[in-house]
Amino acid sequence: MSYKNQLKQLFPSIIYNEENDSEEYATVTSKEILEISKILKELQFHLILEFGIENFKNYKGITLVYVFEKTDSKKLLIVQSKVDNDIESIAPIFPTAALYEREIQDGFGIEFKQLCDSRKLFLHEHYPKGFHPLKKSFINAHIKLKDKVLLSEEYIFKKIKGEGVYQIPVGPIHAGIIAPGHFRFNVLGETILNLEIRHFWKHRGVEKYAENKSVEEGILFIESICGDETVANALAYCMAIEKVSNIKIPERAEYLRVLFAEMERIYSLLGDIAGMIIDVAYPSGASQFFNLREEILRCDEKLTGSRFCKGAIIIGGVSKDVHSKTLKELEDYMDYFSSQFTSSFLRILENASVMDRFETTGIINEKLVELLNLTGPLARASGKNKDERVSHPYSKIYTKLMDPNKILNQGDVLARFRIKASTITNSAKIIMKIIKCMPDGTSSANYALKDGCSFSIVESSRGQNILYINIKNKKIDRLKIRTASFCNWCAIEHAVMGNIVPDFPLINKSLNLSYESNDL
Amino acid sequence: MNKFIFQTTKVIKKFKDDEELKKLHFELKRSIISAFGRSIAIREIDTGSDGSPEIELVNLTNPYYDIEQYGITFVASPKHADVLLVTGSVTHNMVTPLRKAYEAAPSPKWVIALGDDACGNGIFKDSYAVIGSVDKVIPVDIKIPGNPPTPIEIIKGLLELTEKIKKEGY
Repeated sequence: MSYKNQLKQLFPSIIYNEENDSEEYATVTSKEILEISKILKELQFHLILEFGIENFKNYKGITLVYVFEKTDSKKLLIVQSKVDNDIESIAPIFPTAALYEREIQDGFGIEFKQLCDSRKLFLHEHYPKGFHPLKKSFINAHIKLKDKVLLSEEYIFKKIKGEGVYQIPVGPIHAGIIAPGHFRFNVLGETILNLEIRHFWKHRGVEKYAENKSVEEGILFIESICGDETVANALAYCMAIEKVSNIKIPERAEYLRVLFAEMERIYSLLGDIAGMIIDVAYPSGASQFFNLREEILRCDEKLTGSRFCKGAIIIGGVSKDVHSKTLKELEDYMDYFSSQFTSSFLRILENASVMDRFETTGIINEKLVELLNLTGPLARASGKNKDERVSHPYSKIYTKLMDPNKILNQGDVLARFRIKASTITNSAKIIMKIIKCMPDGTSSANYALKDGCSFSIVESSRGQNILYINIKNKKIDRLKIRTASFCNWCAIEHAVMGNIVPDFPLINKSLNLSYESNDL
Repeated sequence: MNKFIFQTTKVIKKFKDDEELKKLHFELKRSIISAFGRSIAIREIDTGSDGSPEIELVNLTNPYYDIEQYGITFVASPKHADVLLVTGSVTHNMVTPLRKAYEAAPSPKWVIALGDDACGNGIFKDSYAVIGSVDKVIPVDIKIPGNPPTPIEIIKGLLELTEKIKKEGY
């Protein structure tokens, strides 16, 4: 029996709405959501996104949208529920829901019953009481903040008590050239007992800002969410709109898009690898990778006119075609890149002092992967083959040209180091193949926009990025983007437990999560 | 062999052959020596950028640009800094940390606003969650616009600052 019939038997009030190749929609009542979650958990679904929309499909109030994914299914299950009276938290069943529900509480001002943690999330304490920016009644404008924050309103961190236990507060401004975030360690001697992360220092109000903007304008701020996920986010955005409006992009544009996406993956992961080596005090080993990254950024500039491929991807294709001469140059360079990268990488693996720091440090247990919806290289280093290019192939190029991913089981810093390196090699191979079989033709299509809503999923350098867009009157009504970092940040709190404080920067860098794409 | 390809030994050579960069480095070194004696220490503060200015700042220390050898160091604390280099459109959540960092830096101190966000032309400048530009919170001496500015533009901006200090004194 399919799970749909099974659910229908248990909950007769469930309504199945439309269904397409990638999504199945169901509507439930808010009273049943907790019970349904329990059944879905048993059926091995996991929660990948939860968010709210106001004034959606003739319902004036707030509709909650839960997005579930099943490991072996290519389709997403999207459960919608109107908030008409009390709504229960599903965090006891799906722990990741706690973060989403705190986000919804801040954004819409609805309260979840039995939510284990109801502290404010993205609105820090100086935002006025009763301010909920995602409500339609609030029109985006500069606001007046509280003059003074009372002691009782300050954020409370977990505190572990006992003989010899002390706290180390770190941040929001960190020692390196890096974005802000606050880390609160509870430490015994040198061993970390507990780490709590407080984020959203860089909250820029992206979701609200998107409202009532034209669809074309939207791409500008989607690209400004995160520098090294520019292509991934722009791709997700354009794919969602193309799905709504039924736009077919030319084959050449698809190849170029994947080319840019893989170039971005390479430079982003090169930064991670170099950073990890820097953090174990081996800068001469790291400079090889920094050199390669600079060269890749220069290649990007030649390809698109921007070192970060900003403005390269547009609705209906790519903004500028790439000359065949440039592609030939890139092919020559990638040849050199692959050999240079492999030799530099092997040199690092031969270094005993580096390996000593990498091995058995910051282990992420395989069990956490699905529980916390961890994705990307970090999941692949913990024994799970999580890659959206494989599980939700959003371009046929990947099915055709991509080699199978490497999977490791150890889950430590070394495993992540190796997985990231193999991802880079894999991407370099994809690029070589793309250049070889690049089709001719135009690089963008004409299009007419339609109203509607859609999801899209892409694999950024850090893992699964999911985007939802609702277009009303050719304008953005609601944009929700959840990047891989949002979920993967939870992994650090688990990975550092039992490690010593000096290993924290290394563990952090081995995941290299983005602050800006988490804070939005 | 193609121009794109750099042999490892040629990497630095090619970089040295870049006449514009060579000239900039020379001027920067000379300017820093006459304005500061030996070197300047920069503390970078991100108040809501998209992360790309940070990537470019890290790139400044790679062997291609290697600005540390010309007398510029990035330091871990504002207490060690001559210059605060601020990126981002200053989110409300980062106002207090930015003020505190500015107060912690010893005088004389200078502030650079880096990137379109920090200079006041950023894409999110009208959002409820941001102030809009760095100069609305702390005084700014030099603005380096760009989305993000390239490493060469950042070096030019730093040169502009040292020249300004040389002219105006502490």
